[in-house]
Order: sequence, then C-alpha cells, then structure tokens
Amino acid sequence: MDVEEGTENINLNTDIIDVRKTYDYLRKCQTHLVQSSEIATACVCQNLFKLDYPFGATRSDKDYLVANTVHDIMSICMGGPIFENWHRGLENYEQITKKIVKESSEIVNTIIKDTSEIAHRENRFVEDTFELQVNDIYNGLIMGMTRRLMKKHERPSRVLTEVTITNIKDHHEGRIDAILEYSNGYGLLDWKSYDLSNTISGREKWQLIANTLLANFRYRRSEDDWTGHNFSCIVHNSGVYFPKAETTRKEVERIKTNRKFAHMILCGERVRVQRPKFCPVCDKGLEGSKECLFYQRDARLAYEGKLPAQYEKMTKQFFAKRYAILKERAETHLHKHVVFSLISKHGEEEALRRLEKIGILCRGYSFDFDIDEKVVFSRADDNIPLEPRRIVRIIGIEEGKSILSCINEQASVMEVRNNKITLSFRSKIAVRRAKRQLFHLPIILLRDELNLTRSMLRPIHQFHKLAADVLIPAELLV
Amino acid sequence: MTIKLNPDQSRVLNWRIKSGGVAGVIGPAGCGKTTTGSFLAVKMICEGYAKNVLLVAFTNSAANEFARELSMVLGPEGSKFLCVRSGYAPGADPRLPIPFSNNIELVRAKKIVICTTQSLKRLSASIRFENMIIDEAGIERLEHLLSPFALGINQLGIHLIKENISYEANNIIELASKCGIVATVVGDPKQSRPIGLADYDLSAMEWVLKCARYDTLYTTHRLPDKLAMLVDEFADYGGLNSSPEIASRRFEAIHDIDENFIEILNPEVITWVNLNGNEMMAGPSSWYNEVEAKACVRICCELKRVAPSKSISIVTRYTEQRRTILKYLQHLDIESRVLTTTGALGTQADIVIFSLVRNNPERLVGALGSLQDLNVAISRSKEKLIIVGSFEMMLNGVTSSYNLNPRHKQNFPQKLARLVDKKYGMVVEAPKILYK
Ligand code: SF4
Repeated sequence: MDVEEGTENINLNTDIIDVRKTYDYLRKCQTHLVQSSEIATACVCQNLFKLDYPFGATRSDKDYLVANTVHDIMSICMGGPIFENWHRGLENYEQITKKIVKESSEIVNTIIKDTSEIAHRENRFVEDTFELQVNDIYNGLIMGMTRRLMKKHERPSRVLTEVTITNIKDHHEGRIDAILEYSNGYGLLDWKSYDLSNTISGREKWQLIANTLLANFRYRRSEDDWTGHNFSCIVHNSGVYFPKAETTRKEVERIKTNRKFAHMILCGERVRVQRPKFCPVCDKGLEGSKECLFYQRDARLAYEGKLPAQYEKMTKQFFAKRYAILKERAETHLHKHVVFSLISKHGEEEALRRLEKIGILCRGYSFDFDIDEKVVFSRADDNIPLEPRRIVRIIGIEEGKSILSCINEQASVMEVRNNKITLSFRSKIAVRRAKRQLFHLPIILLRDELNLTRSMLRPIHQFHKLAADVLIPAELLV
Repeated sequence: MTIKLNPDQSRVLNWRIKSGGVAGVIGPAGCGKTTTGSFLAVKMICEGYAKNVLLVAFTNSAANEFARELSMVLGPEGSKFLCVRSGYAPGADPRLPIPFSNNIELVRAKKIVICTTQSLKRLSASIRFENMIIDEAGIERLEHLLSPFALGINQLGIHLIKENISYEANNIIELASKCGIVATVVGDPKQSRPIGLADYDLSAMEWVLKCARYDTLYTTHRLPDKLAMLVDEFADYGGLNSSPEIASRRFEAIHDIDENFIEILNPEVITWVNLNGNEMMAGPSSWYNEVEAKACVRICCELKRVAPSKSISIVTRYTEQRRTILKYLQHLDIESRVLTTTGALGTQADIVIFSLVRNNPERLVGALGSLQDLNVAISRSKEKLIIVGSFEMMLNGVTSSYNLNPRHKQNFPQKLARLVDKKYGMVVEAPKILYK
C-alpha cells in the first residue's frame, strides 16, 4: 500500500541518515588504533616508536620469508596434529614430537612448496637452506611445546590461530598467534622463530602482554578482567617462556602508558618522550640509532634557532604531509569505529540492521567452495552491496563475543555475480585456516580498508634527510 | 619502425631530452601522454641521453599501458631485450613480450624499467635511475611522487652542491632537481582530483606545475571536434583540438534504431537525455538513482543492437550507481564496462553513457560538481557522449564548498549544462520508455 511504502521510505532514510551522520562525526574525530606490536616498540623506547610514526624512518621491506612460513605452518598445524596429539604431563616428549612432526609433514611440505613457488615467481631471494631452516625451526617449536607446554597444561577444548581482536574503547588492536580455549578460560601462545634467550629488549614480552589484554577483552569484554586468563607464553626455538604473574601485572601499567603515548603521537599531539636509561636497541648499535640521532639533532637545532629558514619551511611541509598520512591511517579504522559507536547507541541487533541497510555490512552468506586463495560465498538474494576490489573483513559471529573480537580474516572482493561473491584471501593458508575456524559460523562481511601508510611515510623521511644534507650548513651537521 | 608523433609531442620530446630536473607535461584526454612518455624513454636510451630510465604509473593497468606502448615502439624482440616489468607479478600483463622480474641483477641489466608506485619498494635502493617518466594519473599526492624520486638521487651530486656552498631550494620539487633527479611527470590536473585546499594537499601534478617548468599537449586523438571543443572550454585548457583524422568522426547505426531511441541516438556528438529519477543514499557517502540506472542499461541495450561492434562504457561518479547498473546489466546478461570516474581515468570507448545520479529539490550536486570528475566523464568517448540525468538539476546546481576551490571558483555543473545546451550538443527529453 502507498501509505505503508511511504512510511517505510521515511524509516529507511532516517536510518541511513543516522549512519551517515555517525560517519561524518567520526571522520572529524581521531579513529586511531594502536597495534600490540607498536605498543611493544614504544615500551622498548618511545623514540623508537616515533621513528616509525610519524617519522617513517624505519625500513619495512625486509623479507621475513622463513619466519612467515613458520608462522603459516604453525597456524595450520596447531589446530591439526599438535592439537590431536596433545597429552598433559608427557614423559616421552621426544616420541610425541616425532609423531607430530611426522603427521604434519604434508602440511609443512605443501606450505614450503607453495611459498617457494610464489617467492620464485616474484623473483624474491630464496636461500638454498630455506626448507632446512623452516623444518629446523618448526621442529624446535614443536619440541618446546611438547616439553614445556604440554607438560603443564591440558589439551584445550578448541584452538584458534591468527585471531585479530579490536578493542575500540581502548584504541587497541592486535593479532594473536594462537588462543587455546578451556572450559574455565583461555591461554595465549605467541611464536618466535628465533631463540628468545639471545634477545634483550623485552619487546616480545610486551607484545604478549598487550595481546593478553585483548584476549581478556574478547572473553570477558574488559581488558582488566583477568578471571579467565590461564596463561600466556612465547614458544621459541629453544623452549617456552612464561612471564610470571607478578611480571605481567607490573607490566600492564607500562603497556597502558605506552599505548596512550602511541595513540597521542598518532593523533598528532605533543607528548614528552621518555628516553630509556639504557638504550636496549640502539646502544647495541642496531638499526634505528642513526635515524634517531638525526631527529634529535634536528630538534636541537630547531630549539636553538639555528635551522636555515628554507629548511624549516620545507620540514614544516614534511610534517604536515606526515600528519595527513596519519589521518589516513586513522581512516582505515573508520568502519570499525562506526560499528562500535552504533552498537553502543542502539544495541547490537539494531546497529547491525542499520549498517546492513546502508550497505556497510552484509549477512546471510554461506560458504560454497574454494580454489587456491579464492573463496566463493552465496546468499539467498542478489543484493550484495559490495564491488570488486573492495576490502572486507569476514567475521564469524561467535555467541557472547563483541563483533570486533570475533574470529575474522581480511580479503578483497574479486567478483560479484548475481547471488555469489568471490573473495580473494591473502594466501591459500589463510583460506585453509578460515575453513577450519571461521566458515562454519554465521558470516558477516564488513567493509574494511588496507593500511598502506607506512610505505608512504618512508619517502618523506628520505627527503627530509636529503633537505638536511643540502640545506643545513656542514658545520652544523657535525 | 617509423615513429609518428604530432608536433606537440615532438616539441615536448625535444625539450625534455635535453633538459634535466623535474618538469611536467600536461596531457588532456587522448593527447597521448603514455605514447609521449614511452617515446621519450626510448629516445633517451637509443640516443645515449640516459643509461637507464624508470617508467612509473600508479595502477597496474597504467603500467601495462606503458609496457604495451614500448613493445609497439621497440617491437617484441627489442622490448624483450631492453625492458623489464617489475613490482607485483599478478598485476603484469603476461601477453606482453616484456619480461617480469624483481631480481635486482636482472633489473639492473635492463635499460627501461616499468613499475607501479606501490611496488617501487621492491626495487633495491641501490639502483639509481638517471631518468624517470611518471604517469600522474591516480598518483594523487606528493608522497607518491617522492618514492620514485628517491631512486633518482645522485649522492655524488649532493657532495658537489655542498662544496659549492649553494644551499638553496625553495620547495620539494626544486630540492629533487638539485639532487640530480631527472623526471618528467605526465598528467592532467584537470582530471586528477585535488586532495584538499591546503598547500600540502596539492595533487602531485599541481606540485610539479607550481614549482617546475611544464608544457602542454593540445592535440587529442580521441575526441571528435565538438567534444574536443566542449572539453576545451569546459576545463579551460586554452586550445585543445582534434587531430584532423578523427575530427569528423560520428556515430552511425548499422541497424534501424527503435523509434523511442531515435532522438537519443542521433548523429550529434553530445546528447543530454533529460531524465528525472530520484536519487537515493547508499553507503557512508554514495548515491544511486534507479531510474537512471535502468535508463542507461536500456540505452546500452539498444546500442548493442544497432551498433554491435562499438565499445560502450557507462560512467558515473558513484560506486553505488556503478553497482546498481552492473546488477541490471547482469540481469539482462549484457556485457558492458561500467566505470566510476576514478576508474575511468585513462580509459576510452566509442560511446560513453554518463549517469549523473544526483537529483534533489535542494539542487545539491555534492561531489559530482568537481571539475575533475565531470571532465573525466565527458572526455572518454571517441564518437558519442550521452549524458543521462536531470538537466535542470545541473543547470541550477549548488556546488558544495569542496568544489569552490579558490584556485578555480566556478560552478562546473552549470557550466557543463550551458555549454552542451547552447553550443556543442543537444538536450532531449527522455522518452517514456526510459521511466518504465
Ligand atoms: S637511540 Fe636510544 S633513544 Fe633513540 S631510538 Fe634508539 S633506544 Fe631510543
């Protein structure tokens, strides 16, 4: 009937206007999220964080082929052979290690083969010992797990790997290598492909604890609720490291302080930087120090009023650009902030309904099939508000969990045809993982964005240094 | 192979081959920016002006265009021998003879390297390019320009500057030139969107034009006479004209046109179909217009019937409208390109249907009113441009402050409506069938 249609239209419009207003409002706000790894960097040294943001002074193009491959293997084997062979209080851990290694050989070999194929296709440098290294590290990690972890802890009821959790309220996001779920709580695993006893900065520990706060948020909806937390540990090449409960508690404050610091820096606020008494990274002569000294000198010369006018003008432009880029980084988190804000305002169901109406998210998909890194989903009708090349977050709704902490993966839309949508995942491994832990859940596709800001900051840093080289008189540079 | 260039292109080539530093070349639609860039690269290498040249584009398809042009100029063997395509492997067109590689030694051994901006980080900083040609389309911002520049810095040169104690450079582009970077940025500030109003928000091309020397290509090999005149006056290029071979190109149907469409598919180069559909909101900032979407699909259908060999593109400012049109095309099982103005940059088709979308009582045209978006939409077609949407809306359109850029304070929708109506095209009422 006409009248009813009219009313429906008005509702439709007010709903949409409400969502749009939220977008407009949030666009003017700071929607930054700090990653656990960044908090860990700030914990090591606040200057070191600034070298990343806003300066863009660190190189991000190192090829971590071995480490990434081990990560991929662990993310699949954890829910397979490792989980299946988990026995508490093992005496004969060597035998079980061998068994797990044997049973995972298919997974390991496939991932090694795929990875080297892709690396060769892209003409990346692959060491001759690549396969050997990956196998070595993988065996070391398994040995560490059977010897230390399985000794102390029961087999979990479920294992999740590579879980991204977003806690908007505390501006925090992170990706946890593995979560072990128990009837009474959860444990966290983080794997490192190197020997932890040789590192000194404590970065790994801080990242783990920062991630534990996110796990608290996922299971208890508050990062300060530790009632479900059983343990957190780092599995590394020569064992497992469990931070003590007192250490964890003590470090939480440090994590929060540095999270706030990092957030304020990203928002472009002026913050006093605490230089560590001991330079754990740079006193060892590792990368970072030269760049750090450059910016310290820059700041000193500016303070003393010795910088040439042309140089000052140019660096002002560089900083304006840097903050414009940071603003863009914030915008990559805009959709998540809108979801959070609408849920706080209207409750989850109503918020989702409105977001669905405006096309920010869509529901009702079921998994059809997959080929390599492509996955096809379908739904009952053909009104799919997405289009090729858009980035989406595929969220598997878990009961009792906040949407942004549910299991998810990122993918890009390849094709939309009638009631089918083809998504391209990051890798075949991501698809394999998702098939195990995500696709059987009710699926939501939420619009998302890629964060490419790091690579944009880097040339600005290069030109900032170049400007200094050309425009600052040599005697001042000494 | 004989190289055929028009006088504009030759002038630019001769200028850039001998001059160093950073400079710009403005190329309106169809003026052969990619061709000029590719010829320049080849000439540099063949005549020994540079040891190596880097060709950079923002998108993979634009990088492939460079590669295609080079393989035409150099032939399959020559291009295979001299060139390499680098970056993201799946993005490279495998049908082209130019090999793909990210292997530093191999890249170093080649004379002409083609890569996208985002993938430049895969090239080692240890390679220095003596010359570079940068396609600005899509390279919206200064920092996109700085990443290729970083590969052209002459460290030795910087020491010389220091020794001569000439600490001068007024802006980033000048600084780049000082540091030995030789780059030709080809693009069109009237096609790439401006980023904002602040100085640091200038688009990459605007930076170059503001701070360096530039020249303009004026002869279009795409737009027929009337369309070239419309675009020239609309965007104030100051002399854009059609090359004589294509100036009189007109649309011709090979089958009888349905009487409902006779007025629309006339031989006029530019036809505005005045259609009143309602705009609808979608997404955080997008719009769609169902009536217009259906009308575009109907016109497209008829075109496919009466002129099956012609390529057709439907262009719109809004992603949501693109999606709506695609949905209807799929229903009818019709294959046709549907592009947003951003995606349409660098493309062309025989016939272009431009869906305006916006239509509201307040006459707010929003983002549709920008010079760049309108200019891209009207300058894609080789034979005929069909604008679909409310004529009154555009004629009386109110542009948002976004479009009132102090650099060119004009009401562009209004300007377009007037130029089409009074000078270069015709406005026809939409037949009833388009409302069904
Ligand atoms: S040099 Fe010292 S202050 Fe600077 S980043 Fe390194 S650790 Fe921090």
